[in-house]
Formats: sequence, C-alpha cells, structure tokens
Amino acid sequence: MSPTDETEHLGQVLESSEDIPLIALAGAPNSGKTTLFNRLTGLRQKVANYPGVTVEKHVGELRSGDQVLADLVDLPGIHGFSARTLDEKITKDVLEGRVDGIKKPDAVVIVTDSTRLENQLMLVEQVLELNLPALLVLNMADELKGRGGSVNANALSEKLGIEVIWTNGRTGEGTGAIIEYIARLKDNDFVSSNDIMNPIKSHKLPVLESFSKRKEAVKEAISDAEFIPPEPSAVSGFLDSLVLHKIWGPMIFFAVVVFVFQSIFTWAVPLMDGIELLIETSGIWMSEVLPDTWLKSLLVDGIWAGVGSVVVFLPQILILFLFIGILEDSGYMARAAVIADRVMYRIGLQGKAFLPLLSGYACAVPAILSARTIEDDRDRMATIFVTPFMTCSARLPVYVLLIAAFIPNEPFMGTFLNQRAGVLILLYALGIAAAIMTAFILKRTLLKAEPSTFLMELPPYRLPSVQSLGLRLLDRGKIFLLRVGKIIFTVTIVLWILTQFPRTELGPPEIEQSALGQIGHVIEPAIEPLGFDWRIGIGLITSLAAREVIVGTLGTIYGMEAADEESLDLQAALQESVSFPAAIGLLVFFAFALQCMATVATVKRETGGWKWASFQFFYMLALGYFGALLAYKIL
Amino acid sequence: MGSEIKAAKNSSTDLRLSHVQLDQEVELVSIDLPDNQAEPLFERGFLPGCRICPVRSSPSGDPIVDIDGSQMALRRETADCLCVKALRDLKGK
Repeated sequence: MSPTDETEHLGQVLESSEDIPLIALAGAPNSGKTTLFNRLTGLRQKVANYPGVTVEKHVGELRSGDQVLADLVDLPGIHGFSARTLDEKITKDVLEGRVDGIKKPDAVVIVTDSTRLENQLMLVEQVLELNLPALLVLNMADELKGRGGSVNANALSEKLGIEVIWTNGRTGEGTGAIIEYIARLKDNDFVSSNDIMNPIKSHKLPVLESFSKRKEAVKEAISDAEFIPPEPSAVSGFLDSLVLHKIWGPMIFFAVVVFVFQSIFTWAVPLMDGIELLIETSGIWMSEVLPDTWLKSLLVDGIWAGVGSVVVFLPQILILFLFIGILEDSGYMARAAVIADRVMYRIGLQGKAFLPLLSGYACAVPAILSARTIEDDRDRMATIFVTPFMTCSARLPVYVLLIAAFIPNEPFMGTFLNQRAGVLILLYALGIAAAIMTAFILKRTLLKAEPSTFLMELPPYRLPSVQSLGLRLLDRGKIFLLRVGKIIFTVTIVLWILTQFPRTELGPPEIEQSALGQIGHVIEPAIEPLGFDWRIGIGLITSLAAREVIVGTLGTIYGMEAADEESLDLQAALQESVSFPAAIGLLVFFAFALQCMATVATVKRETGGWKWASFQFFYMLALGYFGALLAYKIL
Repeated sequence: MGSEIKAAKNSSTDLRLSHVQLDQEVELVSIDLPDNQAEPLFERGFLPGCRICPVRSSPSGDPIVDIDGSQMALRRETADCLCVKALRDLKGK
C-alpha cells in the first residue's frame, strides 16, 4: 500500500501538527454529520484519499479564535462495522488507528439524528465498543421537539457513560458545545480511554448474539432516558404518499430524471460555449503574440487545447452534482433508489446503481466514483462495468458531426421526429441495451452471487443546506479537474509530440508523415474491414484522450483550422472519404468502445487494479469493433 | 412456487413479513437467511423480538416498514425470509 502523492502531502500536513489532537466525526448517513463538520471547519478542509483505497478522507481544522484546537476528520456515513463496504472498513480502521498517515483519533464525536434515536443508537453502541473518549451529539433537536418527541440527555449520558449534547446542524446551534468539549478534552490532556465504561464485549460472540446484546443495551438506554419518539413527520408522510404512489411515484421519478437531463444539456450549454470561446480566443491571441516556434505550437495546440477539452465539461459536471446534491440531501435519492430497484434488480443491478448510471450521462468518471454507496461488492463492480455505456457528453460532439454529415435532415415517422434526432435517440438506446445485456451476463457469470440484501433507509425529507451544497460542488469540481485533467492533459501532450516528429527542414512534418500518421497507417489493416482508413485510425487513437478530441483531429488531418462539430467543410470532407456504412459503423463504435483513458484510470483506482479496468476496456473495444463491422456489412 | 403454497397454508404459524397487511404491527421471530445476508438486517435493528410495521408499499409492491422509528425499504424476497408473528390488528378482525 504505497501512499499516493495526494495522501503524502496530507500526511505531511498532519505530521507537522503532531501535537494537535485529532477528533473523528462518526455517524450514520443523513444524520447531519457532514453539515456539522462543514459548520465546524468551514473552508479550512482538505479532501484526499486514504492510502491504497479510494475512500475520501475529509480533514479540517477546528479553530477557536486564532488558535487551532484540533484537526477534525469527517468519517464516511455508515450503519455499522460489518465491513461490507470500504466505507465501513475505513471508518473502523481510522477509529482503531490502523491507517497509515493518520494517527489514532484522540476522541470521537458521534452524531445522531435524534428523531431516529433508537435506530441510531445501534451504531453508537458499536462505536463505543472501540473504547475511545466519545461525545454523543443529538442532532436535529428542533425537529425532535417540533414533532413532540423528547429525551432526557442527562439520563442518557449517565447510562452510556459519555457526554451528551444537543445540536441543530442547520442553524449551527450547539456547535459551541462541541468546540467546548474538545477544548476541555485538550486541557485535561485527554482522559485516558480506560475511564470509559464499556458495556459490551461482544466482538467474540456470534453475529446474532452480539447484535441482540447491543439491541438490549439500546432498549435499556432508551427507557432510562425516557425517550419519547416524535410523531411521524406529516410532511414526509404526505410527500411519500405522492413520491411512492403506484402511479404518481414513477411519473415523478421520470419527471426528475428528465429535468436533470434537460438541465445538463440545456443550461450547461451556454456556459460550455462561453468557456470554449474563451479558450479559443485566448489560443488565437497566444498564437498571435508568441514567436513562431515549436514552443508556441506546444503551448497552443498541445497544452491549451488539452486544458480546454477538460475545462469545457466543468459546467455540466457542476450542474449535475448540484442536482445530485439537492436530491441526496433532501432525501429524494433514497426514494428514487427504491423506485428503480425492481427494474435494476431484474437486469442484475440494484436501486443504488441508479445514481451512477444517471451521472454517467454527463461523465463516467464522477459516475463511477458515486458507485461507492453500493454495499454489495459484486453489484458495485457490475455497476462500474456498465456505467461507461451511458452516453456521456464527450460522445455528443462526435455524434453531432457524423450525424450532420451523413444523415439527411428529413422527417421520419411523419412530422413527429426528424431522422437525425431518430438516429441520436437510437444511439442512446444502443448504449442502454449494451449496459443491460452486459450487466445481465456479468451477474450470471463472473459476478454470480446470492442475491444481496437490499435495505434502504428512507430518511425524513429535509431542506438541503446551501453551505453543504456549495462545499460539495467545490469538492467535485476539484476532483474532476485533477483526475480527468491529469490524464487528458498528459495524453494531449503525448499526441502533440507524436505530430511533431520526425522533423523536416521546414519544421513539423505533414500529419501523414508524422509519428502519429505512421501509427494510423500501422493500424489501418485492423480497421480496414470496418471501412476506415488511416485518417480515421488517427482519430480513433487521439480520441483515447477524450472522445470529442477526434473532431479536432479530423479537422487537422483534413487541413481545416479550428474545425468544430458544426463545421460544414469538415462534414463535406468526411462525406468524400468515408462511406455511409462506415460512418454508421463509426457511430456504433463510439457508442460502445471505451475511448476514454480518464475512465480507465478511474476504474483501475476504484477496483484496486488493472484486472477489471483492462477487461472492461477490451470488452468494450471488442463490442465496438464487431458492432461497427456488423453495421458496415449489413448496410 | 412450492414454498409459496406452503407459506399460504401455514400462514397462522409461519407468517412472513411479506404477507403482513399495511399498518399491522408484528414481532420478528427469526430471519431465514444465512448470517452474511442477515447481518445488514441485524445491524439496522431487525432482531428477534423487535416490532415491525409495514407502513406503505413502493410502486413495485415492495414493502416499506417502520422499525424503531425509522422507515426501511426492503425487497419482497427479503421480506419473505422474515418470520413474524402478529401482535395486534389495527384494522380489526
């Protein structure tokens, strides 16, 4: 387990503050833990990965005035330690001080949603068994009281042997008490953990017995603390009667999906166009200002174009994650997973796969990251495997160019649909069909398993906090730029170098004579059966950086400066050199093949090795190749 | 098929959560699943002796139950493995 550069950096940060205590924040999903973390640390937080695994590590500074009181680590939201997910394993390992680069926490703050106290105490019991100094936070105090519930915090504190405080994550009420607790701990040089009463030594018992013991302890605590559960939330009940209604439920679900789609494809467009224009004009400006050397070419055609092809997707990613954030924090995502589960289950996936698959329509990289919430390993693997079949936005420029060049702009099925739109819809459907087929086969062969237990808690509906949404967007944006940026950037520069050699007296060679052109010629025999020549071959190679790069490459090959997918000259050039069946084959190829190194790298990270990443790459490549071949032969 | 018929015949002695009507609170007797599949259920409070009340069904007909003040969605197949006994019937017999 060699730490990555990111974690190394964070390790240094943590080491330099050796004397600063580390406080862990633990709790169930939707307990308001992260909102509290954000309130306590604000922008003074860092995100990195735990060494060797892909679980995100959120660490922030807790300050009191100018003084740094402690480092706070926000652990993933979990329900227990059965370690079925990476999140559970990491949480336990961090709390037990078994993770490289992060010391054993000096105390743990356990956040609970007090409206569901009885259920949440099961996790509290498990955390207390780890014998760390602990503070229990009863969050959502206003909601509990508002719905007529109550609990005697002092009695609960006495029963559990730890301090108990009330908070309201949304208003920030009670966060002072957490800071006070930590300050006090620091003054007392941290009470030795032995002072904490440990009610159960259950880890040696069989599973059922150990949980039964915990449940008994919870029941006692609940009754000693005179917990009165709140009335069921009338708002949540009403919303659920609509959202989970037999007819309205699926309709609302569908409307939400369409709305999210609509927003990534319409609202994001002006922003993306703006960024494109900015990159383009600044590129032109640079090429005018800089002297005409290879350096200029590297900067403008290599680096700047590389940066541009990454940054242009940022608005779409951010809008998508804004919606996902709202859907998750409000509680709708849990309902959506329940509604989607039956259909997903039939094809071998499960309800929680809905989120990654939806995100896949923008970009497979963040989508694959979001598959982490799927507990069952095989379900998660299958989801990661089929996500890149969703028509991501990098495929669109390729589709648009080829469709505009080869499909007539004529009505189809009466005036209802245009032929071009029809082909586009067909390509989307092709991706979905491939995903369904692949998941279906995988879950009956390589990933065959007993059906997993699908258990989805439906938290009460809540208003998302603006601060949490904002910080999440910042986070996602950074991850996207770093992960995807690094790869696309590198590939773009390598490709640029390949176009520069071998040098001629006049400078860089014609593209056909360049190293890249020669590679195109080398692979020509392999793609000839599909009706592609070396020029398309080069495009297929450059599109490994990101699919839409092929548009610019073909523009360069056919000698058009700054051609984009709407360029009429490029369309005409394509019509001359590519036959209609081959063009359809190319569309099919792009629908299936995993022409995206950023995705391959992400899958490698997320699955912990090259095995799945390379299998997926070659499987999708084969599907693309034979799909294109079939289209070429039939048409 | 066979197990369904059996479950229906012995419904008084061998009641499964999947057959419990809405708003009828029941007590969990046992979970008919191997430990590794039952553990997620244990973890969330599905333990012998606990009270479970189906509160609604999902559009696909899968149960959503109230347990310890939390609402949990299960699959029919899972609910079929939870042996329960009736406590009281709010709708009256």
